[in-house]
Amino acid sequence: MISDRITANLRQTFRDSLLPKIGMLLLVTIVLMGVFAPILATHDPTRTGHYDEGGNAYPPVGFDYTTQAAVDGEIQEVHVTAESAHVLGTNNVGQDVYSRFVYGARISLLVGFTATLLAMLIGVPIGLMAGYYGGRVDDTLMRVADTMLAFPALVLALALIGVFGESPVYVPDPIVYLGLADGMPESIPIPGTVTIVAALVIWVWFARVARGEALSLRNEEYVKAAKSFGTSDRDILIGHVLPNSITPIIVLATIQVAVIILLEASLAYLGFSGTTLSWGYEIERGQDILRTRPWVSTLPGIGIVLTVIAVNLLGDWFRDALDPNLDEGQRGA
Amino acid sequence: MFGLRAVSPGDPATLMLGEGATAETIARVREQEGLDDPIFVQYLDYLQGLLVGDFGYSWRSNREVDVMVIERIPATLELAFAATVVALVIAIPLGVVSATRRNEPSDYGATLFSLLGISTPNFWLGLMLILLFGVWLGIFPTGRRPVGLGEAIWTLVAYGSVGDLLTWLRHITLPALTLGTYFTALITRLTRSGMVDELGKPYVMATKAKGLPAVLVRYKHVLRNTMIPIITVLGLQMGTLMGGAVITETVFNWPGLGLRLIDALDARDWPLMQGVIVFIAIAFVTINVLVDGLYSALDPRVSDE
Repeated sequence: MISDRITANLRQTFRDSLLPKIGMLLLVTIVLMGVFAPILATHDPTRTGHYDEGGNAYPPVGFDYTTQAAVDGEIQEVHVTAESAHVLGTNNVGQDVYSRFVYGARISLLVGFTATLLAMLIGVPIGLMAGYYGGRVDDTLMRVADTMLAFPALVLALALIGVFGESPVYVPDPIVYLGLADGMPESIPIPGTVTIVAALVIWVWFARVARGEALSLRNEEYVKAAKSFGTSDRDILIGHVLPNSITPIIVLATIQVAVIILLEASLAYLGFSGTTLSWGYEIERGQDILRTRPWVSTLPGIGIVLTVIAVNLLGDWFRDALDPNLDEGQRGA
Repeated sequence: MFGLRAVSPGDPATLMLGEGATAETIARVREQEGLDDPIFVQYLDYLQGLLVGDFGYSWRSNREVDVMVIERIPATLELAFAATVVALVIAIPLGVVSATRRNEPSDYGATLFSLLGISTPNFWLGLMLILLFGVWLGIFPTGRRPVGLGEAIWTLVAYGSVGDLLTWLRHITLPALTLGTYFTALITRLTRSGMVDELGKPYVMATKAKGLPAVLVRYKHVLRNTMIPIITVLGLQMGTLMGGAVITETVFNWPGLGLRLIDALDARDWPLMQGVIVFIAIAFVTINVLVDGLYSALDPRVSDE
């Protein structure tokens, strides 16, 4: 499927430029952070109530702030200092910001990769068949695709979530299950509806690219030869058309992971994600206290930016190495 | 869209009347609104209404949906327009400089900026701008839209006062930057890669041989040819612009269509939500047709096909 020429290209581009290396390093770090979140976290990310004696959230280490509080029935200025157990401070309900930051990586990556995979599984077969057979199927597909591509993905996603509700799926945490991290949540909530909805709004991009490939490949000599031997359409599609259209699909998939991570964060920010362990949700929670406790919103945002930069850098690398013709227009949502 | 409404939780009659309503009142309202009819009858009713421009009434506020949608359009248009202006004004020169000075510091700066721009979620960017310019520096207001552009221009024309226009400008600056950054980044990338391709073509060499000034060639010929793919992509990205507007409006409490949609969703106000979505759908079909038209105006080859 992936030829030697392609791997050689990938390797050479990786060696020649700095950006893919940075992207790779960032992504590996974030993936490891997500996988080993229960071990890296210092507190249960869902446990509330980590306050100082006055009931104020801790600032990150090295910072302090003053707030107004009622002391003995009088409003007074209270000085709040950091607590070394909470390196990045706590949020307004007293949860450890660092632990939530570490756990947030899981949700972003899980939704990003699962939804992209789902979208590929829906879009690629439909696109390949449309391009290969042509005719009315193809016309219908392209109409649907054009309409969906023009429509705001976020609005579509919101409408779908508004209808289906925002049901989280609780998945047992293998690391906690194996007894490697005591006191951490035993299962983590994955935004189920969001994952499916993201796949539903993204699949047309895959269908379009796959269709384009199949359209040009169906007139290739080897496809015609296979046909003349009496190979079935199904075998031709799987054996010849799919392997030869895989590179642009991979490039597209990388870009879409970034797009979906941003989409999930946006939905979580708007309060339609169904999980509270998401970076986007945490940013929303920090919004009301932005003036006094800006770290609550700031840190998860940095997490999102770094993750998306990592994926985008790898996407650029794949594109440069594999398919220079694919342009920015493929950036969906 | 409509079929889904049937399976969604929450009884509309209860929603309209509030939690304290008696069973009899609820039954009467259900009867009046036709909520006991089969869902396809309700759907046909709704479609019939749409044909004559009747979007129905909001369940929550009992106001006409079309009025509630139309009154929010100017705010969203202003925001989208301001963001596009920000994007074009920054991105095109940046992309041109980046392409003509490849691998120089200014190119690296532009590349880094555009990478950050496409990777930053706009709601977070909005909050950071609020924190920096609104809270710490106190230069710009952090939300709301006290005056619309239309009224501001009216006071300027009728009374010769620029006060309202300045207020409008001050209020729209941060939202426009928030919404515009992603597009600035995207267009910078597009302009750069398009220009790099285009500069390598033989006709550029020919203009050089003729002795035409490089700046003229760059902006008149090369940029014009680069604009075609950029416009296509911008057309495709209109959806992203609207999606971004929904979020930006939420961050800045900007009273546009997006904020109305979010409020309708939160309240499970279906007629209002449908109204907003149907309107957006109509708007997008129209925009697509317009972009196609623009496309052939810029590249005569398109209409020949």
